[in-house]
Amino acid sequence: MSDLRRPIGIFFSLSGVIVAVTGIASSHRAPLESANVNLYCGIAMLVFGLVMLWLSD
Amino acid sequence: MTLAPVDYLLLFLYFAFVLVIGFLVKRKVATSEDFLTSGSSVPVWITSLAFIAANLGAQEVIGMCASGAKYGIMTAHFYWIGAIPAMLFVGVFMMPFYYGSRARSVPEYLRLRFDEKTRTLNAITFAVMTIFSSGISMYALGLLFQLVLHWSFTASVLLSAAIVLVYTFLGGLTSAIYNEVLQFFLIVLGFAPLAILAVLKAGGWSGMASRIPPVMTHTWSQVRHASENPMGVEAFGLIAGLGFVLSFGYWCTDFLVVQRAMAADSMSAARRTPLIAAFPKMIMPFIVIVPGIAAVALSRMSLGYAIPAKAGGGLDYDQALTTLMAQFYPSGMLGLGLTALMASFMSGMAGNVTAFNTVWTYDLYQGHIRKGAPDSHYLWVGRVTTVAGVTLSVATAYLATHFNNIMDFLQLVFGFVNAPLFATFLLGMFWKRTTGHGAFTGLLAGTAAAAATHGLTLAENKGGWLGTVVHTFPSTMAQNFWIAIFAWSACFLVTILASLASTPKASSELHNLVYGLTDIPHDSGMPWYKRPAPLALAVIAAVVLLNLLFA
Repeated sequence: MSDLRRPIGIFFSLSGVIVAVTGIASSHRAPLESANVNLYCGIAMLVFGLVMLWLSD
Repeated sequence: MTLAPVDYLLLFLYFAFVLVIGFLVKRKVATSEDFLTSGSSVPVWITSLAFIAANLGAQEVIGMCASGAKYGIMTAHFYWIGAIPAMLFVGVFMMPFYYGSRARSVPEYLRLRFDEKTRTLNAITFAVMTIFSSGISMYALGLLFQLVLHWSFTASVLLSAAIVLVYTFLGGLTSAIYNEVLQFFLIVLGFAPLAILAVLKAGGWSGMASRIPPVMTHTWSQVRHASENPMGVEAFGLIAGLGFVLSFGYWCTDFLVVQRAMAADSMSAARRTPLIAAFPKMIMPFIVIVPGIAAVALSRMSLGYAIPAKAGGGLDYDQALTTLMAQFYPSGMLGLGLTALMASFMSGMAGNVTAFNTVWTYDLYQGHIRKGAPDSHYLWVGRVTTVAGVTLSVATAYLATHFNNIMDFLQLVFGFVNAPLFATFLLGMFWKRTTGHGAFTGLLAGTAAAAATHGLTLAENKGGWLGTVVHTFPSTMAQNFWIAIFAWSACFLVTILASLASTPKASSELHNLVYGLTDIPHDSGMPWYKRPAPLALAVIAAVVLLNLLFA
């Protein structure tokens, strides 16, 4: 395998997009939290995934 | 708790990726050493993260959150004094001998340094213990998923075991290590938001501290006497038992973690592996313990949240983590959080299976059953052992249904088997007069001392099976710490006495195995962050700071 950072980057970018889109599309909130947890966490994962891809060879 | 389709999508995306990594690595596996030791070719950042991820099993994550809810921030002792010092020691002082000896496993080092019987004793106890802890971890996970998601115990155990089996079967140790890195990031990204949200909801650290007993937000202020803190431990037992004997016995001699460092691509990388790993390791309490503390605070805030009660009375702290997830994560992050839990389970299990594989194939099969076969035969045996190891773990998971507090039970096993072990390695590596007979007798004496201590003392109705009770401990944790102290001392003394009474190996046979007869690389000319000593000093500074901040 060329570089482990690539599959890790792809995994977190994909997961981040899925979670963020869920946050945008759905108004569902967790019982104790009114913030859009999915949107923020999704964006954070996407950023992490892209950084991993950027670092990979 | 019910899951939405998006949660299952994330779980299956994760399953797909671990399998993809297994297939990608498979192409590199040509020899038994590629499969069982990664052919010493893995970059240092990967071995470092794998070093902690292999230890970060599901019972660790669930158990640490449960301990956080039960004991508070004192649980961080399992990291800040119960892991970091030992990780520094193994990197700076022991890795030159492990890596330099070219041994393929920790038991094999014992054969090179001592003799066949010491190696075999260690290999057998280690093999049994890995399968045992892998099974217990699987049991914990199956039970939790059954309770929280109403998944069938058998289905979740078999599905997760099958996936671990496929990727370790394909790519061996490299596949396990590469996946451990993915799993490590997933655990952090899946649990860290929970810790942040739960602490914010509870009013920050000060808000939490105002709602719970002060002992739960301090690590050192209430350990002068065992009666002051809920763990029932006092400073000496804590430092000597946990901080020295148990911790060094695990991090410095347990092949599960040492194997990750030995897979590094150079001696320098092998030494830096535990040192670099120490930085994320010391941060882990904020991700796995703090949510448990927040759970207690939240349950006192009339938000409608409570830690679930156990059927037999008391609180079921093992559910603290999953109930918090249900309160703070909507569908989407909820799926990712559960995937992170699944990932922690898989990293722990794959760690056990790959370590079991190497020890069985090289130390027991090649050592005793069939010597001198072509390498392809051992590669085949390694693959078959993967299947056997996973099958035995599943069987153990079904047997493990009797044990309540997983943490305490694991500590007990460590106490009997691992605690004396560090005395053997310490003497073996730093005193060239230590002999094989000495090491073997010392190990037996240490294990016997552990069992005797447990049999003669009582704590929370545990132990005391030898009839007379000479001492009663305030908690099983204190009992375990003292079992370890007695086991280590007995092994240390008996090893010295028995060594003096037997003939040592010639110095020529001990090259690269013992201090004084080994060239220790000093890496002068390398930048500071690539040299073990400055890295170790940075770790010490950081861990002292953490202890002071939360004293």
